[in-house]
Amino acid sequence: MSDWEPKIITFLCNWCSYGAADLAGVSRMQYPANIRVVRIPCTGRMSPKFVLASFMNGADGVWISG
Amino acid sequence: MSKDVIGSVMVVGGGIAGMQSALDLADSGYYVHLVEKSPSIGGAMSQLDKTFPTNDCAM
Amino acid sequence: MGHRNAVYRPYAQAVPGAYSVSKKDKSPCTTACPGSVNAHGYVSMIGEGKYKEALEVITRTLPMPGVLGRICPHPCEDACRRSEVDSAISICTLKRFAADQVELSELEIPEIEQRKEKVAIIGAGPAGLTAAYFLALEGFQVTIFEALPVGGGMLRVGIPDYRLPPSILEKEIEFITRLGVEIKYNTRVGKDITIDGLLNDGYESVFIGVGCHKDMKLGLEGEEDVEGVIPGVKFLRDAALGETKEIKGNVAIVGGGDVAIDAARTALRMGADKVSILYRRTEAEMPARDEEIEDAFEEDVDIQFLRAPVELLQENGKLTGVKCIRMELGEPDDSGRRRPVPVEGSEFVVDADILIPAIGQKTDASFLQEADGVELNKWGDFAVDQVTYQTSREGVFAGGDAETGASIAIAAVGAGREAAISIARYIKGEDMKEGREGLEIPQSDFNPIPDKMEKKARAKMDRIPMEERKSGFTEVEIGLSEEIARAEANKCVDCMVCCECLECVKVCGAGALTFETHEEEDRIEAVEVGSIVISSGFEPYEPSKLDFFGYDRHPNVVTALQFERLLSASGPFEGHVVRPSDHKEPKKIAWFQCVGSRETNNCDNDYCSSVCCMYAIKEAVIAKEHDSELDASIFYMDMRTFGKDFEKYYDDAKNKHGINFIRSRVHTIDPVGDTGDLEIRYVREDGELVVDTFDMVVLSIGLETSPGLKELAEKFNIEMTPGNFCQTDSLTPVATSQPGVYVSGSFQGPKDIPQAVVDASAAAAAAGQNLVAARNTLTQTREIVPERNIIGERPRIGAFICHCGINISGTVNIPEVLDYVRELPHVEYVTDNLYSCSQDTQATMTEIIKEYNLNRIIVAACTPKTHEPLFQETLINAGLNKYLFEMVNIRNHASWVHKENPELATQKAKDLVRMAVAKIGLKMPLKEAELAVNPTAMVVGGGLSGMSSALSLARQGYQTHLIEKADKLGGNAHSLYKTWKGENIPDMLSDLMGQVQSEENITIHLNSAVSNVEGFVGNFQTTITSGNEEEVIEHGVATLATGGQEYKPAEYCYGDDPKIVTSLELDQKMLNNDASLDDVDCAVFIQCVGSREPERPYCSRVCCTHSVESALELKKRNPEARVFILYRDIRTYGERERKYIEARKAGVVFIRYSLNDKPAVALKDGKVSITVKDHVLGKNIEIEADLLTLASAILPNRDDQLAQMFKVPMNDDSFFIERHAKLGPSEFATDGVFLCGLAHYPKPIDEAVAQGQAAASRAITLLAQGTITTNGEIAAIDPMSCSGCGICTSVCPYSAPSLIEEGRFAGKSEINSALCKGCGLCVSSCRSGAIRLNGYDNDQIFAMVDVA
Repeated sequence: MSDWEPKIITFLCNWCSYGAADLAGVSRMQYPANIRVVRIPCTGRMSPKFVLASFMNGADGVWISG
Repeated sequence: MSKDVIGSVMVVGGGIAGMQSALDLADSGYYVHLVEKSPSIGGAMSQLDKTFPTNDCAM
Repeated sequence: MGHRNAVYRPYAQAVPGAYSVSKKDKSPCTTACPGSVNAHGYVSMIGEGKYKEALEVITRTLPMPGVLGRICPHPCEDACRRSEVDSAISICTLKRFAADQVELSELEIPEIEQRKEKVAIIGAGPAGLTAAYFLALEGFQVTIFEALPVGGGMLRVGIPDYRLPPSILEKEIEFITRLGVEIKYNTRVGKDITIDGLLNDGYESVFIGVGCHKDMKLGLEGEEDVEGVIPGVKFLRDAALGETKEIKGNVAIVGGGDVAIDAARTALRMGADKVSILYRRTEAEMPARDEEIEDAFEEDVDIQFLRAPVELLQENGKLTGVKCIRMELGEPDDSGRRRPVPVEGSEFVVDADILIPAIGQKTDASFLQEADGVELNKWGDFAVDQVTYQTSREGVFAGGDAETGASIAIAAVGAGREAAISIARYIKGEDMKEGREGLEIPQSDFNPIPDKMEKKARAKMDRIPMEERKSGFTEVEIGLSEEIARAEANKCVDCMVCCECLECVKVCGAGALTFETHEEEDRIEAVEVGSIVISSGFEPYEPSKLDFFGYDRHPNVVTALQFERLLSASGPFEGHVVRPSDHKEPKKIAWFQCVGSRETNNCDNDYCSSVCCMYAIKEAVIAKEHDSELDASIFYMDMRTFGKDFEKYYDDAKNKHGINFIRSRVHTIDPVGDTGDLEIRYVREDGELVVDTFDMVVLSIGLETSPGLKELAEKFNIEMTPGNFCQTDSLTPVATSQPGVYVSGSFQGPKDIPQAVVDASAAAAAAGQNLVAARNTLTQTREIVPERNIIGERPRIGAFICHCGINISGTVNIPEVLDYVRELPHVEYVTDNLYSCSQDTQATMTEIIKEYNLNRIIVAACTPKTHEPLFQETLINAGLNKYLFEMVNIRNHASWVHKENPELATQKAKDLVRMAVAKIGLKMPLKEAELAVNPTAMVVGGGLSGMSSALSLARQGYQTHLIEKADKLGGNAHSLYKTWKGENIPDMLSDLMGQVQSEENITIHLNSAVSNVEGFVGNFQTTITSGNEEEVIEHGVATLATGGQEYKPAEYCYGDDPKIVTSLELDQKMLNNDASLDDVDCAVFIQCVGSREPERPYCSRVCCTHSVESALELKKRNPEARVFILYRDIRTYGERERKYIEARKAGVVFIRYSLNDKPAVALKDGKVSITVKDHVLGKNIEIEADLLTLASAILPNRDDQLAQMFKVPMNDDSFFIERHAKLGPSEFATDGVFLCGLAHYPKPIDEAVAQGQAAASRAITLLAQGTITTNGEIAAIDPMSCSGCGICTSVCPYSAPSLIEEGRFAGKSEINSALCKGCGLCVSSCRSGAIRLNGYDNDQIFAMVDVA
């Protein structure tokens, strides 16, 4: 299990967290490569169905940020 | 009449005030020359970390 | 505080995001070099450990780095500005160091296009060799004729081997000859060849670089024939060529230059018993290099100063000694050195077997023949043109010592290169002088030397042991070690910022930076404009002028602006707050307010800078967020948090965040030993002296107008205030005294961001007002490409993968991504671009889209937040709907953040592109509705702010309806007497009312109120009710200027006695010129009545200035009157501070009270008695007043109905909430609705007028467009699925959904596309699944998740 890497699906609000992820890049911050980003217009768009769909498709974690 | 009037404005300084003036003028149908001595716009505000009262990032 | 390279982006998010090269004036070391060697450049390269690159820099102008690195007297070092810190950088030694590290033969030979023309060079000295090198680089066939059997000229036969080993010189000559230069040795001009002969022999041009090899004579009898007298140059030449091997006995040398010293040290090495130098002046005047003199002393050369030979003593024709005379220094001569004068009767004898006169050299031009046609100057040197180096004969050039007389090698190198340029142009038939005549540009604008720079010792080379030195010709100096050399080089203070190493040109893949663009400099461009807006901002106050803060000396005393950078994630410590001295986290920080503001003792800034209190509180709060244990204290005089929501922030800082606020001005900071800590002393309010220690001190520096801006103002003939800000009037707050020139931002006065943004829009409105006739005449409109219908087509996806230079391709394996994406479903075309965003790539993309008939486009590059619009534009140009686009961020989200792990970064890039491919197949073209904007405006509220707004709108050509509920315009202004600037308000008011009434575009509706609002941005239908009459007005925009009113106090016995009045009531008395005011003997003002209280926690902004103004007026009417102002903090911000100073000078007494110990007012025997605790005395004092003025709060005219009708929000204090506190102060989040004046927040007249104009300006940006385009990515309702529950209408922050009232779908919801912002809140709230979000539809997100 030691080489197990979780797959995390990330829903990022276009106006804040997506920009923050951009800024992390600009600042050359280094973080684990486990997240896969889905850009959404606002966390208001977030639906429980997206979380369920993520888990159904094998995600180990879902991260919503906005 | 319109021949004598030049439909452009020079805005000296690309800080927050200069940018706002330039945007308003351009959106109002005037050609704007925005003159800034440094290589990027943003002025003093871009040096600030956050702004009050909301502690928003100044960028 | 951090380090910035010359090629830089100001900060990570800079707009434009391009890098630029910053250059100041040319570095003084480079300017000082007679050979124009870019010292700054190679020193920088050495500092970076790039030695080959250093040599490339040097050899751009000097082909002999190792030679000059050993023997140059380095004028560069005399010019070095590092000496302002400690001592000049050892530039020359560094050059030698670089040359020692790299074999010159390793430098690549550039491609040279060979030419057939031949050039002859006479003399293989530094001038001739350099000329040969540069001519060979131009492709000419060069032959050097050298009289001696060796090359190098004086470098070889004048400089002893222990200073310059011949092997070094030979290698560097090889570096020149490898370009194809031929050297013919033992060929003497005048004997073997002649100049004229060369020219007749097919040489196109001749360069004479014969040097100065003839010794000057002492002028003593027997000098020519007594045995033992050997001239210095000859002596050195014979030694160098091995013709003299050994000498015996005593040697005396006459002279003080390098030749004298070289001869002495050479004689010593050849076996002389004793060597003496006789010099007629003192050591200070000695022209030899200081290092050489020092070496000679070390080697026991007996240097005697102030001696001159007068007679040679001989026996049988053989020298036995020299009779000398002592000298003393007299008046300075032409060279500025003091002239030596013989001391009579002081003769003495120096025993000598050999005498070497080394008092100078001359050019030997005896080889010239008449046919050569070359003339000499009056000193016997070659006469040349000072720019081209051409002699009197066309095609013949001369340079070096032969032209200047004996000088330094680097000067000869410079002359050789300049002559080479001339010769090349001469042969090519070009103008030799063009662009070469040097302009004297004063060089003074250099990179400032940072404060607090550490002093470091100058690097020195080690020497070989003394025994070895004296016994042979081994090189004395051992070069620097790499560590020392790099440390020395890194001491460079980068005077020019850019060192012109041109490394950037080598690496720029996009070809943006070329030799030409790198050379680009400022140019002057003339532009014709209709108006000018000056918004050049402020300059932060430079606190080193205030010595007692020790900003220069203590590293842990920083300015607030520096502290901002410390807090910032993109700052020098990446947002980790550490103090500069030792990078420790500070545990205790003090902020000192009013540094360079409200200060007339130590600087001239009497005004308040308006923003410092707030920013200090913010910094303290944010610093506490970084470290909750932090002890933060703010030392202040008055806490001026007068802006909207600022007081609440202040209260929270005190009560929630535990920031200490200490009312005291600190005047001393002492360092605590070497700890970096700072001890401060201050006097508490109760008079007690406190000593405290802090880890760090932040100076809350004020705002100033820069000297440059003052100059600009003078040029424009703009009137300035005493504080050096732009003078404006309250009714025209953004107009300068110069018609057509407007002002915004802190040039108009120190101000915060919201006020600057308000002014900026106001200035735009004012500047545009004169140009209405030319609106849209200079702007450009875009051509529209017809959109291709793709409905029914299967997806044909085109994917463009960007390298972003090496930003992406440096980490992500692009070929692998390409191969992967090519195999994904529906992908028809894949390619990669070096820079996808470049202009030519856009053109190519357009072609590709058309050629391959693509209907969905993916760009995998950087962030859509900055680049999506650019690519969407490209889609439009290719005839595609712009929503058929998806951007994948494989830079910010992959290559940049997973640098250490290219494999994972590549995998993530592939996954992200795959997700985008899955989504984009489901994307459909979206429509953007275009709605016409009704070019009519409505302003609700006819006060000063509303009238100003209406006037601006009308004057820009828009029909404006001004709605006023009262029976006259003017609002509160009717009750006001004077502005703080002293303007009479009734006069101003009637002036403005007159303008409004006579403006034909304004329709005034008095006694009217808004009773209903329908519609949305661009198309409002508003019902106005006046009495029983109703009128519907159609308009495109609305401005709410509903104003405010005075709070009628319930406290302080208000209403119980006519002597107790509010501020406005006092103004009314003044307006009426009430005679009773002249009889007031004692007046009291109580501030903050109803403001800054728990139930009304905001500051009313205007009252302090108002009371100070009124107090002065009372003092004017009766100078004997006692006037007291009871206050909590005096908030006379900006230049209003001067009124406060004036009031104190006039004898107005200011007594501070605190919120929990408010003054008590009682009515006793018809007198008003006020009791207040004096904070200085700590005792209650009682004042009996004839007049008590309550500076009562400003309340907004709350109108819930109006707010609801226009769908605009109000805050807890019932003021309207603007779109954004800083960036959208004059508009609502609701499109098409604007705000200004007291309805926004309490403000004085000038600010209310400015905001009225600003609201107009914002509205005009909509009106001038004529149409508005709705966003395509918005919600859409399927009425068949809608259950009409109304949830969507309640959750939408923008009131976009509404229930349909009639027709087939009555009761169902619909979305107004003009109002929808596309957030998706209604979509996820809809219980029936009836709402979709275009562009982010469920199936699209599911598709992404499915393949993630």
